[in-house]
Amino acid sequence: MIRIKSLALASVAVLMSTAAFAADKPLYGVLMKTLANPFWGAMEQGVKAGATAAGVEYYLQAVESDQAAEPQLNTCNTMLERKPAVMITAAINSTILLPCLKKANEMKIPVVDLDNNLDPDITKKAGVDIAFHIGSNNEMAGAQGAGFVVSKLGKDAKGPVLVIEGLSGNITGKHRADGFANELKKAAPGLEIVASLPGDWDRGKAANITNDILTKHPDLVAIFCANDGMALGAVETVFAANKGDKVIIVGVDGNSDAVKSIKAGRLTASVAQLPYLVGKQAVENVKKILEGGKVDNVVIVPTLVLTKDVIEGGKEPMMEFVK
Amino acid sequence: MSTTDIKRSQPNLAERWRNVQFFFDTTMRVRLESLIVLALLCTAMTILSPFFLSLSNFLNILLATSTIGVLAIAATLVLSSSGLDLSLGSVMGLSGTAGAALVVEAGWPWPFAIAGSLGAGALAGYVNGQLITRARIPAFIVTLGMLGIARGLALIIAPNGGAIYGLPDPVVYLGQGRPLGIPSPVVILVLTALFAHYLLAYSRFGRHTLAMGDNEGAARATGINVERLRRTLYTLSGTLAGLAGLIFMARVNAGDPTAGISYELTAITAAIIGGTSLFGGKGSILGTMIGALIMGVLQNGLNLLAVQSYYQQIAIGSVLILAVYIDQFQATKERKS
Repeated sequence: MIRIKSLALASVAVLMSTAAFAADKPLYGVLMKTLANPFWGAMEQGVKAGATAAGVEYYLQAVESDQAAEPQLNTCNTMLERKPAVMITAAINSTILLPCLKKANEMKIPVVDLDNNLDPDITKKAGVDIAFHIGSNNEMAGAQGAGFVVSKLGKDAKGPVLVIEGLSGNITGKHRADGFANELKKAAPGLEIVASLPGDWDRGKAANITNDILTKHPDLVAIFCANDGMALGAVETVFAANKGDKVIIVGVDGNSDAVKSIKAGRLTASVAQLPYLVGKQAVENVKKILEGGKVDNVVIVPTLVLTKDVIEGGKEPMMEFVK
Repeated sequence: MSTTDIKRSQPNLAERWRNVQFFFDTTMRVRLESLIVLALLCTAMTILSPFFLSLSNFLNILLATSTIGVLAIAATLVLSSSGLDLSLGSVMGLSGTAGAALVVEAGWPWPFAIAGSLGAGALAGYVNGQLITRARIPAFIVTLGMLGIARGLALIIAPNGGAIYGLPDPVVYLGQGRPLGIPSPVVILVLTALFAHYLLAYSRFGRHTLAMGDNEGAARATGINVERLRRTLYTLSGTLAGLAGLIFMARVNAGDPTAGISYELTAITAAIIGGTSLFGGKGSILGTMIGALIMGVLQNGLNLLAVQSYYQQIAIGSVLILAVYIDQFQATKERKS
């Protein structure tokens, strides 16, 4: 074991030999979107836990907002200057980081797609090699959300449903919304999606959309939002319209604000992404690769539907990963 | 200044300092203070991070400054004329998306990616200029309106509001190529800056622009066609935003409708750190480039040191305020002496 470790260290040292001086522990580069979202905060905790367990250093950077695409590309290029052993990246959109990731490939630095932000077709077309994609399956998460709505309303239920998507063009949000729509159509055809609009991951925008659609469809039965931030915006609007007990609202992520809101009986449910587990498993799998092991190209981290019962029941073993 | 001759016989330190300052101000059109700040910043980063001082990192900084740099040139030209262009970032997003749509979606030959980007930018700038001079709507309002219009158009052009990926190789070369080992965007930035510097500092067009920015009434009285000049400036500003859009598109190999959000403010910040006045009459492209580099070095260095982006924003905000404070301080001193 020790020999394997020192072998890995030696290979990393070779990689870093052009740097001014090599660190004694392998340095994992981690590039996130922004830390201004509890989701990424939880993932950072997971990365930290994984790195501590694996005995590696990590160098984590993020940009000021999850729309700062070009700054993220610039930060990525800068990070390569420190010649990390790996680049674990959560790209703001599916194209922005490609030039930098290509450069990482050329420098023989493995690239990990954290939280499935890259489109495998586009990366292939661009000639970028991804060691593995890790994250929850967003379509499955959306489908789980639809399954929960149907379990509450029954498969013969009828009524209008609103879907609030993520940022236009972002595939994470698109997959969640698509997964939800497809499953809903299958499981309860009577529930009709009357609008599916981009909320741009923005709480305020989601609140406005909800307001507009509630005006048009006062009998709205359910709202699915592609993340918790937007779901929390929708919740406020629904409660302000005195419809808190009539509309089921489901978010995705399971972040701490959402958990608070669910406990308070406001948000109905959130399909928890377990970002802590994603971060931890990302580091664990990277270590495996650097030591010469094999990892599936797509690593799926399970999701969990959080409701008041699940959170307060204390019977769900996966709750320990909800941060 | 008439006292300079008398004092020259025995120059003291302060006097020498002022002479050097004067040389940089008049000959190079660059504020000496901003150069010193840039040098200090580079020295500090070199000491703090072993990864800072290298050719590849230096090129990284320039590459990261390329789109903002081109926008900052546009901001400098417009600010010098006491105008304001808040639509720069949105027009940049629209231009890149339009250029990519023509080639990738409509299947036109690759030169249309370039023509489309520059053309869309020029058109947006032309509309700005017409509305400001003919309809007499304040520049702030017109360009704020264009900020929304251009962004909306960009999102409409792009299918589902997503990025248009996959441009032909000659276009991508403009963003990812490396003639003589230098990234193409850096080459484009440097050439554009040199041309714009000549334009603003040495040409009649530039003198008229600065005169108009200093005192519009006086400029009009000397026979300058203020309205026409203003229209030209806004069209030029839009075209430069188009160029920034083109660079961005080529760099990421995609027309991204969300490119350049709030870049206008970053561009204006670079111009002001470089010594351009928000109220017109004073501006230098080389100064602006130094302003942009100060921001670029700060960001790059803090990234290398793994400092969170929130602190970077604080640092840049502070540099902006400090730069203007130094300016005010100088101005007061000059007025007193």
